[in-house]
Amino acid sequence: MIEVKNLVRTFNSGDRTIKPVNDVSFVLGQGTLASIVGKSGSGKSTLLSLLGALDKPTSGDVVVNGVSLAGMPDAKLTQYRRRDIGFVFQQFNLIPNLSAVDNVMLPMEFAGIRKAARKQRAKDLLEQVQLAADKHDRRINRLSGGEQQRVAIARALANEPKLILADEPTGNLDEQTGDHIISLLSALSQDHNTTILVVTHDRALANKTDRRFRLQQGKLTEEQVHRAAVPATA
Amino acid sequence: MDRECGSDAGLPGRHLNHRSNVSVLARSVGNAFRNKVRTAAVVAVLAVAIGLALAMLVANQAVGAKVQELNASVGTVLTVNPAGGQGFEGGGEPLSTEQAATAASVPNVSAVVGTSSLRLRNATEAAAQAASGTPAGAGGQGGPGGQAAATLTTSLTAAVDAGTLGNRNQASGTTGSTGTTATQPARSLPITATGIGAEVDTTGKALTITEGTGLGDYTAESTNALLGTTLAEKNNLSVGSSFTINDQAYTVAGLFDAGTAFGNNAVYVTLPTAQTLAGLPDELSSMIVTVNSLENVDSTKTALQDALGADKADVTQGQNLETAVSSLGSVKNISFTAFIAALGTAGLIILLIMVMLVRERRREIGVLKAIGAPNRTIGLQFVLEALVLAALGSAVGAVIAAFASSGIASALISTNSTSTTAAGTAGRGMPGAMPGGGAGFPGGQGGPFGGASQLLTSVTASASPGIIAAGIAAVFGVAIIGALVPALLTARIRPIEVLRGE
Repeated sequence: MIEVKNLVRTFNSGDRTIKPVNDVSFVLGQGTLASIVGKSGSGKSTLLSLLGALDKPTSGDVVVNGVSLAGMPDAKLTQYRRRDIGFVFQQFNLIPNLSAVDNVMLPMEFAGIRKAARKQRAKDLLEQVQLAADKHDRRINRLSGGEQQRVAIARALANEPKLILADEPTGNLDEQTGDHIISLLSALSQDHNTTILVVTHDRALANKTDRRFRLQQGKLTEEQVHRAAVPATA
Repeated sequence: MDRECGSDAGLPGRHLNHRSNVSVLARSVGNAFRNKVRTAAVVAVLAVAIGLALAMLVANQAVGAKVQELNASVGTVLTVNPAGGQGFEGGGEPLSTEQAATAASVPNVSAVVGTSSLRLRNATEAAAQAASGTPAGAGGQGGPGGQAAATLTTSLTAAVDAGTLGNRNQASGTTGSTGTTATQPARSLPITATGIGAEVDTTGKALTITEGTGLGDYTAESTNALLGTTLAEKNNLSVGSSFTINDQAYTVAGLFDAGTAFGNNAVYVTLPTAQTLAGLPDELSSMIVTVNSLENVDSTKTALQDALGADKADVTQGQNLETAVSSLGSVKNISFTAFIAALGTAGLIILLIMVMLVRERRREIGVLKAIGAPNRTIGLQFVLEALVLAALGSAVGAVIAAFASSGIASALISTNSTSTTAAGTAGRGMPGAMPGGGAGFPGGQGGPFGGASQLLTSVTASASPGIIAAGIAAVFGVAIIGALVPALLTARIRPIEVLRGE
């Protein structure tokens, strides 16, 4: 379970103080698939970075499975990101001179998983996100945007995290692959009890989540979801 | 400070292992070759700096070994000359065999070798000059401490041409370069003959006998003699041939190489032989005193001076050789300073390159942190990448050093020995008084420098694997230090960097 308590993040810009996240509070039960929608610059990515311990809040707290992130030392926050969080970034943020498999293996290497085991799991994950086997050993800079997005999703799943934070996970995918990724995320939340929070502009994707939030001028509000059918996984 | 162990014990399906460093190394090697053109440029610059550092280290070691050798062999030699003499001027009383015995009784003196100097003139030329009324001995004076050495006749002809200096000096009969420049008949130079009490030259250095044998017992009269190689060649003599001094036949027992033209225009006989030829059986031109260890040289020098009396004898510590050793010492210091400077340059290059790479890869470092990489792992990755570059630079640098070290050492030594030669000559002064060849008479202060010069140039710098390995170890040490700062910089990068620009 993830519990967000009065989260505030402010930035100073000259004389002005900007609050992209302004007193945000919500609770997500384990295994929930949720989405955050909002205009560009509304603070979605800032909120995501706070939940993922990439950034520290000005005030407020994030409690994950009863453990507060506030005041946690950097080393523990690194461990939290490694063990409990899977990130899918909007710009993929893969390591360009490594192959797809090597990129997926990275978080497992940091977690201390043996090479053979992490290689096998990386290949399984790449198959799950439907990346052709002949592209597993290809360097990232020789893959298309959609293929890179799938590698990024596979990397986020590598350490079986409790929480996946995804920034526009289907933004660069065609409709069919996008549907598959949604099905995969949905299955993860249901079958593996993984909490998934997706930031998206894709209304269709947002309608397939259990809960939908809207972030506007730093304030978060929950919207009624008229849940659409999630495509069955292949 | 990140205190994580790098593995997450207790997580289901996780296995502790220490093999992730292998993956970090593989990534570091891959990263080092990301931009091949840049890597090649960095390696080239590093190779020059490392090559220079290794070459300097090799030169330093070679010169250091030479200095040790010099100190061990000739650094313990003191020279005793009659007091009151300076170069070829002055007066005073000659040294005696009694003083040699006194010197031998001084504590820490391990050996005393007397010398007796003679000047030999070609008998035919001397006779012709006598017939024409020109004094045979006019011109350059020899002998230690201003003593006029006994001048004898010989069947030998000098191996050194008189040249302008020789003719001017002999004609002027003065002791300075201010002598007359009027045209004089060409003359041959005198030949240096020295009686020695042991198989050493006038600086105490063992004679380098290239053919034949030594003179055996140097304390007994003998009709055997040692000739300089060029003198023997000039007179078509070889081992076993004969020549005369004052109409007395002498046999060439061996040939020696003193390393200089003047030094090889010389004859060595036993000390009693020379004393008899000069008609001065108890007199010595100089004494070569060997001290038992380098540490005792200074105290023995003082004790010897006290024992002989300051008004009777001057005790000197092979000034010219000291200058030569000092010159080598300065080469050693220069090469060591250059080694440190080149090593520092290599470290600075690595530091700057790695700082640049860290800045360039801020976002990537942020990504690694975002997906859970500990600071230690990221820092290690950059240190290993720096070591990969240092290893490549060292490999190329070692090749450069192997080819360049000898040339660099020679250049350093020749530069220093040139300046030393100039300083030494200026210090002795009165070049016009020297009887040909530009060096002083044996037993005076001119002789030793030729030997020292030879010692200087005989330094050979070879890039031994041990020295190269030590140098490369130093390079790796510097590379680690150079890479540590950028590696520590990675710890300051926040994972939020990953979202910059999104």
